[in-house]
Amino acid sequence: MMTELSRRALGPLSLLLLALTFWLGYFVTPPDQVQGDLVRLLYIHPAMAWVALYVSFGTATVASAMYLWPRTRSDALDRIAHSAMEVSVFFIALTLITGSIWGRPTWGVWWAWDARLTSTAILGVFALGYLALRRANDDREVRARRSAVFAILTAINVPIIHFSVIWWKTLHQGASVFTSNRTLKVHGSMAFTLLLSFVAFTLTFFWFLRIRYRIEVARDHQSHRKLVSSIEQRRNEVPAS
Amino acid sequence: MASNEPDQLTPVAPPATKSRARRRNLLVIAALGVCVVALLAQGLLGSLNYFKTVDEALAERTTIGTKEIRLEGVVKPHSISRTASGASFTLTGSQGQVFVISHGTPPQLFQANIPVVVVGHFKTVSSDAFSGTQIMVKHSSTYIAKHPKRVKAPNGSIR
Repeated sequence: MMTELSRRALGPLSLLLLALTFWLGYFVTPPDQVQGDLVRLLYIHPAMAWVALYVSFGTATVASAMYLWPRTRSDALDRIAHSAMEVSVFFIALTLITGSIWGRPTWGVWWAWDARLTSTAILGVFALGYLALRRANDDREVRARRSAVFAILTAINVPIIHFSVIWWKTLHQGASVFTSNRTLKVHGSMAFTLLLSFVAFTLTFFWFLRIRYRIEVARDHQSHRKLVSSIEQRRNEVPAS
Repeated sequence: MASNEPDQLTPVAPPATKSRARRRNLLVIAALGVCVVALLAQGLLGSLNYFKTVDEALAERTTIGTKEIRLEGVVKPHSISRTASGASFTLTGSQGQVFVISHGTPPQLFQANIPVVVVGHFKTVSSDAFSGTQIMVKHSSTYIAKHPKRVKAPNGSIR
């Protein structure tokens, strides 16, 4: 009962927190000393990147690893990995778009081929590759196994993206939240709104994941029903002896 | 009785459309693979380090020559002057400094005391003057709220 209630509350709660983030971000928080009002993109871009790289790609990777592990293997894990990867593509695209919109007035360019931006774009291509790979094979088990291996192999790019601003000299700034000495480099109400945006977008991810998972279950049921009805039809076509 | 044999229910060959769809999907995967290689070549392998700092550029002055590089440093206060084609200013590192003449409109956040990356080249093999074609502002990871009502104290500190 409680679980069902919390599932039903996930959507409205996500929307409420997103609305609160936008209200605080656009009307309440002060402008930045250097960036002025451009700082308001701070309340969506890092949170989107967090969801794209760590939450959704991470969920897809963990579900894939659990699928490959014989003791935990299940169709549900394969569906979770697939659904999380689709949501990841959406958030990676949003991360690149919002980053580009921020980059043009701040840096002066829409795009820079630095290590952070390039490795994020590569992750987007990997995520698309995962989805393409799933369509390349009709055998359910083979498809699930291959895509799980692919997800795990490509996940190596996530720590590369994270540490790119430390390992190499990049135009993209270093971490403001996940800093090496655990200090938040954002002040006052700006910091609160930034952290709220992380919660709001993380909940939004789980909301999207749930919707996408249910679509996947319905699709599987439909495909099963089609198969049963095709076999039945074929049986009926066979002339009785 | 022969009609009830299971082989009559088994398709003898997969439909042609399936194999076409599979070929198309494999082509999409191959195209994505090419994209990854192109991105690696363009971005990561070509510029793992996106720029050279002023100190690095001055240390490697003879090997750099007049090659195009991305030069990073902090804009020296009171050194900016707008020119007909752009702006000139001094970029400082921790030890050295480079005089930059840049063409084109600087980005809106361009100002003194902030780190920037300038795309361009040294004017001559021996000169320390740098000719820039593009300025990119390198924003720090610190975000400080603007307080328009704050005033400067006589000793220069912000209250």
